[in-house]
Amino acid sequence: MKIPFNINSRIKELEVKPNETLLSALRNNGYTEVKCGCSEGECGACLVLMDEKPVNSCQVLAMSVRDKKVKTVKGIGTLYLPHQIQKAFVKAGADQCGFCSPGMIIASYSILKETENKPTKEDITRGLDGNLCRCTGYVKILEAVENAAKTSLTEETKAPEAVCTNM
Amino acid sequence: MLPENLEWKFPSSAEEAVELLRRPGAMLHGGGTRILKTNPKGVKLLIDVGALGLGYINYIDNAFYIGSDVTFSEIVKYSKKENKIALLGEALSNAASTPLRNRITIGGSLKDFPIWSSLYAPLIALKARVEILKDKPEIYSVEDYVLKGVIKTKHVIRHVIIDDEENLICGVKRFSVLRFEYPVFTIAAALKINGQTIKDARLVITGVKKRFKRFIKAENALKGQPLGDLPLEGALRHINPVFIPDYKFSARYKESTARVYFSDLLNELTEQIKGDDENEDSVQH
Repeated sequence: MKIPFNINSRIKELEVKPNETLLSALRNNGYTEVKCGCSEGECGACLVLMDEKPVNSCQVLAMSVRDKKVKTVKGIGTLYLPHQIQKAFVKAGADQCGFCSPGMIIASYSILKETENKPTKEDITRGLDGNLCRCTGYVKILEAVENAAKTSLTEETKAPEAVCTNM
Repeated sequence: MLPENLEWKFPSSAEEAVELLRRPGAMLHGGGTRILKTNPKGVKLLIDVGALGLGYINYIDNAFYIGSDVTFSEIVKYSKKENKIALLGEALSNAASTPLRNRITIGGSLKDFPIWSSLYAPLIALKARVEILKDKPEIYSVEDYVLKGVIKTKHVIRHVIIDDEENLICGVKRFSVLRFEYPVFTIAAALKINGQTIKDARLVITGVKKRFKRFIKAENALKGQPLGDLPLEGALRHINPVFIPDYKFSARYKESTARVYFSDLLNELTEQIKGDDENEDSVQH
């Protein structure tokens, strides 16, 4: 059945099965920036923001997302207009294979919003407690979030939502 | 696996949800994390509780009313902001992970009671009650909710009620191999102070063979005792939880560890009481 979703500030009708997870619904409708890792809510690769809160999209039934706003990593920043978190990840070398990066960036975005850009080390480690990375050893990821925090969130890239051309 | 022809309903009142729940194969959907983890068989209808208006934390007549649709994250946030229900806030801040805490609801977690639950020990220590709706509203202590088998019946949880007790010193500890792993067990203790003595005590553990256990003999050993000379060793003798062994730990190892954890927690609480007394003295002087 077709259900209207608010994804990256755009209303889209997605073809969804009643027993389908949000992860599956997003990926089957072209939002492949949301990665499928463990499918058990352990790795955080599938993280999206739902009403500005990070959730494991593999642990959410798509039908329950009615009336909620979903944001994928492309709603935060794009290849041509990256968010400062994404820039900080690149600068710090915080991604290697890149598979965990969309989820890491979603979690980092939420940490900075929750702490008004002044996260403590504890805030960062707690905020990333649902994200696994098998390449970097986390040091560079923590460094990237700290560096991104130094840039004010008031400079948040609102433009990507408008220019997001994915679907 | 949930069936492809699964039906969804989005009722706007708890009464409507109770009515729908009577249908065969009907099940409530809150955050949905347990449904996806356990893949329950025979589910034909999911009743989403999101529109029932149960996402509140109210403070009325010295008691907290936590709606069943409130997530763990929201409880942790409320606890930190208001500096209230700290025991519950602390326990839930370590449950699962941030994205999962944003989905797990107190109602869903109460109804499912997974063996690694971080919710039950603090709720029982705080003498929490749960109001449910079947044919009519019913209120049970959280202990009775499990022990009397109400948990297994079809019902809608309205809210959890926690009295805001004064002079209650409490703490919680969880034992897990890694910080972000499911706990092997969670312990909680609440000591009600009256003047210079312990008026009431509650010592609870979850993760044991029978899901949870209160150590009533140990509690009785503490009741009525002077704060300056608590018989902790006497109380600890009655800490005898029964565990199921698993591939990581034997039952005996878990039992010994639980006793050590209770010892640490009670020592921390008595230190806290002494500290509070000293602070009061210094203020008076």
